[in-house]
Amino acid sequence: MNETPHIIRDFDSSLKGMKASVLHMAAIAGGNLDNAVHGLLQRNEDLCNDAIAEDEEVNAYERSIDKEGMEILLRFNPLASDLRAVVASMKVSTNLERIADQSENIARRARKIIKKNEVPEIQLIKPVHALAASLVAEAVRAFSDGNSQLALTLFDKDQELDRLHKKAIKDLTRAIEKDQENLRTYLNLIFIVRCLERIGDHAVNIGEDTVYIEEAADIRHIGPAALEEEE
Amino acid sequence: MSSSKVLMPTEENISPPAPESSAVTSSHESSQEETEKVIKVNDLNFAYDGKKDVLRDISLEIQGGEVTAFIGPSGCGKSTLLRCFNRMNDLIPTASITKGSIEILGTDIYDQYVDEIELRKHVGMVFQKYNPFPKSIYENVAYGLRIQGIKDKATLDQSVEESLIGAGLWEEVKDRLDASGLGLSGGQQQRLCIARTIAVQPKIILMDEPCSALDPISTATVEDLITQLKSKFTIVIVTHNMQQATRVSDKTAFFYLGELIEYDSTTRLFGSPAVKQTEDYISGRFG
Ligand SMILES: Nc1ncnc2c1ncn2[C@@H]1O[C@H](COP(=O)(O)OP(=O)(O)O)[C@@H](O)[C@H]1O
Ligand SMILES: [Mg+2]
Repeated sequence: MNETPHIIRDFDSSLKGMKASVLHMAAIAGGNLDNAVHGLLQRNEDLCNDAIAEDEEVNAYERSIDKEGMEILLRFNPLASDLRAVVASMKVSTNLERIADQSENIARRARKIIKKNEVPEIQLIKPVHALAASLVAEAVRAFSDGNSQLALTLFDKDQELDRLHKKAIKDLTRAIEKDQENLRTYLNLIFIVRCLERIGDHAVNIGEDTVYIEEAADIRHIGPAALEEEE
Repeated sequence: MSSSKVLMPTEENISPPAPESSAVTSSHESSQEETEKVIKVNDLNFAYDGKKDVLRDISLEIQGGEVTAFIGPSGCGKSTLLRCFNRMNDLIPTASITKGSIEILGTDIYDQYVDEIELRKHVGMVFQKYNPFPKSIYENVAYGLRIQGIKDKATLDQSVEESLIGAGLWEEVKDRLDASGLGLSGGQQQRLCIARTIAVQPKIILMDEPCSALDPISTATVEDLITQLKSKFTIVIVTHNMQQATRVSDKTAFFYLGELIEYDSTTRLFGSPAVKQTEDYISGRFG
């Protein structure tokens, strides 16, 4: 990150303002994810409802961040890392909005699950959620601190999440074979595991946007190797 | 290289060129020249008083058929370097290159055998303050050709028309070629100066802040013209307007205190400059 201040102070404050909005949005999106899963694990419908209601707030943030970005492009004609920061922040905000959407989906399924019999397989969600949530938290921290090293570690973590996701689905599929009575619950749990896996992908996208801001390198669909080739 | 002696005052290139054979576009050499280094600056130092260098260690290669923008804060030497390309600085008695050399189309232009007048036929210049002569529109454009000794009316007519078309001005002035050039709007006067420059069919056009005295619409017209002219001429433009540099140029050179700090493709220099000094300057940071 270039720490040298701009001559036009309003340019600095607008960029800082936009970043602050993205971080607020990230806090809400991350909270929605936790509420949705805790609602499921603690069989607490209020938490699920919070995750659903708060999604609207995340949507509002996405709209206002787009507006802030457009205004900065219009007023200050940013170049170099400033331009990359504005464009990438708008993309980070889109990914956060998707994370909140997936959290809302999780909450809606969780509400259905907790109205039915409790099954021990609900515990399978725990490690998948823990890893997905830490991916999101680290992606946001990498973005916030401009830490592309941290951002680059997300690829490996996401692969680990993919493994956990596949294993959980396998276990849940086996449970269906044994226990037809709770079929709906297992199917809802499979859906939730899928949502968590998607959330990991969005976290990786945020990491890629961070690397783009900091290194001006496009590592999408190629991974960290692209960065090494650049050098 | 076939063009290496193009600037030497030989019998052949002192005599006026046949106007219909554009030396720049129609000869088959020109396609080679497009990928050639049209301007090559080798480790150049320059001093106005022969002692204190205002340009230091400049090395730069400018490709044919490209638009190159020179950017940097006032006083960093952009105009000085531009004026080295057509030896305009020679008009200042004490001024001289104190180190290095400049090759244009393969010729060392500070070689004692190079004739500046001949050089300036190949390297035209457009200034910030548009400066038409107090003559008719027609005579402004025909001026350089008359100096070359062309008298044939039909030849002059054709060249004036082609140059005004090339400068995007023909439609606006074709019915009043006898009117004074000074009666045109600012943007039109600047395009008239561009027409005057291209009339003698240079290979290189140097532009020193050509839009800084123009309103936004005239500026857009001139910028559009620059991208049109690019197919026929190698253009070097000094500009203070970064957005203008991003719009019109292929390559950008950033100068600071007499030194070339960074030179790269325009998208790279403005999108992800390699040097922090460049980034601080183009993004309006203290530095
Ligand atoms: N005719 C001149 N005589 C002496 N010094 C000059 C002359 N023209 C420019 N300079 C000096 O040379 C340096 C570079 O100037 P110039 O090339 O005009 O900068 P730029 O075009 O980047 O604003 C400046 O320090 C300026 O004061
Ligand atoms: Mg100047």
